[in-house]
Amino acid sequence: MSRALRIAAVTLAVFGTACTPPSAPPAATEPEGPAVVLLNVPADPTISFSLQFAVGSQNDPPGKEGLAYLTGEMLADAGTETRSLDEILAALYPLAAGYDVRVDLERSTLSGRVHRDNLDAYLELFTDAFLKPAFDEDDFARIKSDSINAIENTLRYSSDEELGKAALHEAVFRGTRYAHLNQGTVEGLRAITLDDVRAFYLQHYTRANALLGLGGGFDQALVDRVSGAVRQLPAGEPTAPPSIEPPPIAGRSVVLVDKPNADASISFGFPLDVRRGERDFYALWIANSWLGEHRNQSSHLFNVIRELRGLNYGDYSYIEEFPEGGERNMPPVNVPRRIQLFEVWIRTLPNEQAPFALRAALRELQLLVDEGMTPEEFELTRTFLKKYSLHFAETTAARLGYAVDDRFYGLETEGHLARFRRMLDELTLDDVNAAMKRHWQYDNLQIAIVTGEAERMRAMLASGEPTPITYPNPKPAAILEEDRIIEAWPLNLAEQRMTTVPVAEAFER
Amino acid sequence: MLVHEPGARSTALRICAAALVALCAALPSPSQEATSVPPIIPFPTETRTLPNGLNVIVVPMPSDGLAAYWSIVRTGSRDEYEQGRTGFAHFFEHMMFRGTERFPSDVYNRVITTIGADANAYTTDDHTAYHLAMAAEDLEQVMQLESDRFQNLSYAESAFQTEAGAVYGEYRKSRTEPEFALYEELLAKAFERHPYGHTTMGYESDIKIMPSLFEYSRDFFKRYYRPENTVLFIAGDVQPDAVFALVEKYYGGWQRGYVPPQIPVEPAQTAERRVDVRYDGQTLPILLIGYKLPVYDAADRTRVAADLFADLAFGETSEAYGRLVLDEQVVEDLDAGAAYNRDPGLLEIYARVKDPAKIDYVLGVIDETIAQFRAAPPDSSRLSDLQKRLRYGFLMGLQTPDAVASRVAQFIALSGDLAGLDRLHATYAAITPADVQTAAQLYLNPERRTVGVLRARQ
Repeated sequence: MSRALRIAAVTLAVFGTACTPPSAPPAATEPEGPAVVLLNVPADPTISFSLQFAVGSQNDPPGKEGLAYLTGEMLADAGTETRSLDEILAALYPLAAGYDVRVDLERSTLSGRVHRDNLDAYLELFTDAFLKPAFDEDDFARIKSDSINAIENTLRYSSDEELGKAALHEAVFRGTRYAHLNQGTVEGLRAITLDDVRAFYLQHYTRANALLGLGGGFDQALVDRVSGAVRQLPAGEPTAPPSIEPPPIAGRSVVLVDKPNADASISFGFPLDVRRGERDFYALWIANSWLGEHRNQSSHLFNVIRELRGLNYGDYSYIEEFPEGGERNMPPVNVPRRIQLFEVWIRTLPNEQAPFALRAALRELQLLVDEGMTPEEFELTRTFLKKYSLHFAETTAARLGYAVDDRFYGLETEGHLARFRRMLDELTLDDVNAAMKRHWQYDNLQIAIVTGEAERMRAMLASGEPTPITYPNPKPAAILEEDRIIEAWPLNLAEQRMTTVPVAEAFER
Repeated sequence: MLVHEPGARSTALRICAAALVALCAALPSPSQEATSVPPIIPFPTETRTLPNGLNVIVVPMPSDGLAAYWSIVRTGSRDEYEQGRTGFAHFFEHMMFRGTERFPSDVYNRVITTIGADANAYTTDDHTAYHLAMAAEDLEQVMQLESDRFQNLSYAESAFQTEAGAVYGEYRKSRTEPEFALYEELLAKAFERHPYGHTTMGYESDIKIMPSLFEYSRDFFKRYYRPENTVLFIAGDVQPDAVFALVEKYYGGWQRGYVPPQIPVEPAQTAERRVDVRYDGQTLPILLIGYKLPVYDAADRTRVAADLFADLAFGETSEAYGRLVLDEQVVEDLDAGAAYNRDPGLLEIYARVKDPAKIDYVLGVIDETIAQFRAAPPDSSRLSDLQKRLRYGFLMGLQTPDAVASRVAQFIALSGDLAGLDRLHATYAAITPADVQTAAQLYLNPERRTVGVLRARQ
């Protein structure tokens, strides 16, 4: 998280301003660009800004993985031609405002929010950030150093769960420009120069790639001012997205991240080519909510692994990118992707219980795909989502984020969340169960496990032998009976399809 | 702060134009005199106390049919004063989701799922909060559930033991973080007797034996989960009279019985303490310094000024930050803040140092900075900017019922009502540069501090 975002996080909470269900806002293109998304909420005394560029870490040149990330950070967390960073921080300080960038695979989004009383002071800072980056050597050295440290120390050693998820993503998309971390690789970051950043900025931060979003209590004059600022960017050419064709997964493969003294953190999944807007996507959303709604007691995996057995802290599943899952409760915005990852996340648990928990999750996935949801489960989940989904876009800033993302998915007319609510009424149980059979499966999976006992884990998994667990307390007969099934559930893991990566080498190149 | 894993924590529901206009118009001036102590929340608030001692605060605000429902129990890890029983406030937060005879956990969860509520809980040093963001039309249904579990919690020993596994899992997750490892050791060194000496999670050795403490858990519930130790905070599209009527119906029969904890008094610290922690992994070195503060009092300008000192001296617009983080780049992150605790807590200064050889240098810069503030008051314009930021930032965060509740819960836990929060903001506005200097002179003495350093083992 950049310095600017922390300011916002500490001092600002976003307004919720909609008094009617969110629907897609009007989108327009100014005569000479940029494309604009407007979400006018006159009563909102704040204004939310979003300036998204159609460039992301997928556009990192080979050998310079991290270039998009460093470029974005050099806009949001560094000085401009008019102010040094400490001057910017001082100017933002009494405004209780900030701005930040999120560099994802496909898009880089600069966003911020300010009270309209402070608009003039803020607007100059915000527009200078993308129009007049200073590309100062000291800023670059700091950001580059912090970015390398974020991989070498923080990701590798401070968060096993994020490490496991990143290892899964890398394995699934190996060989494509989706594979490396948004932040890059250690070698890639080391190879990047300030000239690289300047060139990347000039090539990609253009009107052709820009999508401006404004939300809250703005007027046409502000639209004109900000659009005018964006028009000062060079016209440019649209950045071409690279082809992303994940290698086919035949059978089940395992990558073990060998981290001394670590408990086990497990993620598994496969690429998913169903996207927002498609009817099957919403059908899968219902199924996924039942299987593993993020940080919710309604998650079936949560109930099987944590609630009934107490093995860990939580167990969830996803059909869309959900970064920072340990820290956020609702889905993020501005992480749109052409290809998603179906993912199951089993939170940290003792190594000796990991094979059992993995088996339990694999079994639940298989049962769901094969047998489908029951009518009762379907109705309960649909009822739940009708109200629960209101939390996804409660605020102007979140709604603006969804509206900007709608442009990526071609949903600017109806809007993703509005379509979802319509689909909740239209979809049938048969639709949901059929969608699972079309798009989900359990035979061809990539599994990633962070563990302090890589060799033992590898042997346990490869042997196929039952992996029973014991409890410190008596359990009902029904659970013990089910345990007998789970402990011997076929893993179908061949040793030759397992690789071990020392943690010190993870994301090095 | 530890958060119960399930049930996503909601910020914000949606509010209508009138609320926003009211909020905008109500932004008070930072220079407002402290003596008037105006309410800081720009919405009407109504408070009633039931005969059994339950405090109920209702904040009606336009919110498009949505509401926040918070039960704030004024018990946290501070109350874990008995040997071998640390971590119980947090553990109990988990057990509160295990249901009652009338509404077993599966029934409770099913109802919450059916109404699409966003439910969660968390534990801090001083309080435990159970909160739901939901449709206001579901208020009575939620109150029926919540009042029942607070009065009639019932769980089997096997469920209790199962939950212990989840708690241990949470500890396992946390201990991979170097900050947690250092914080755990620093607290233990800084507090010799007071329960602030352990984190909210508790000692690992105590977490391990939790499954054998079923009877103790029932005692814990009987002692602390009582109406006179609880505040109910309900905000959103609700009518206070209707809410109070429901509260009397559902909570009126809750019996008093709070047993105050026998919390030992921490003896005065008379010399600097040090703790060195070796981390089993790769990490940048971390420097964490805790200065003992006197007990928090919202009306005490010097005590409140300690927090402003922390930001002025080590925040992102400070000279120290500019020097260590931006110019010399020897520190990756620098931060500081003062505790708002019921008992005397710490002012903490945190620095993630890039080079292990520079730890003493960074400590030296921190000492220089403190010496400057002790020698002279800060620039008045910087203080004024901070006061504006504090007040403006707070008020801008009150747009939704759940956001209001999450902003005030900590302060309700301190005083049992909203008056302390109003007083705090009045005090913020009244603080002078001389107050900040006095705070530095009184509290930022080496004999009051514990210096913790974490390094990678290899």
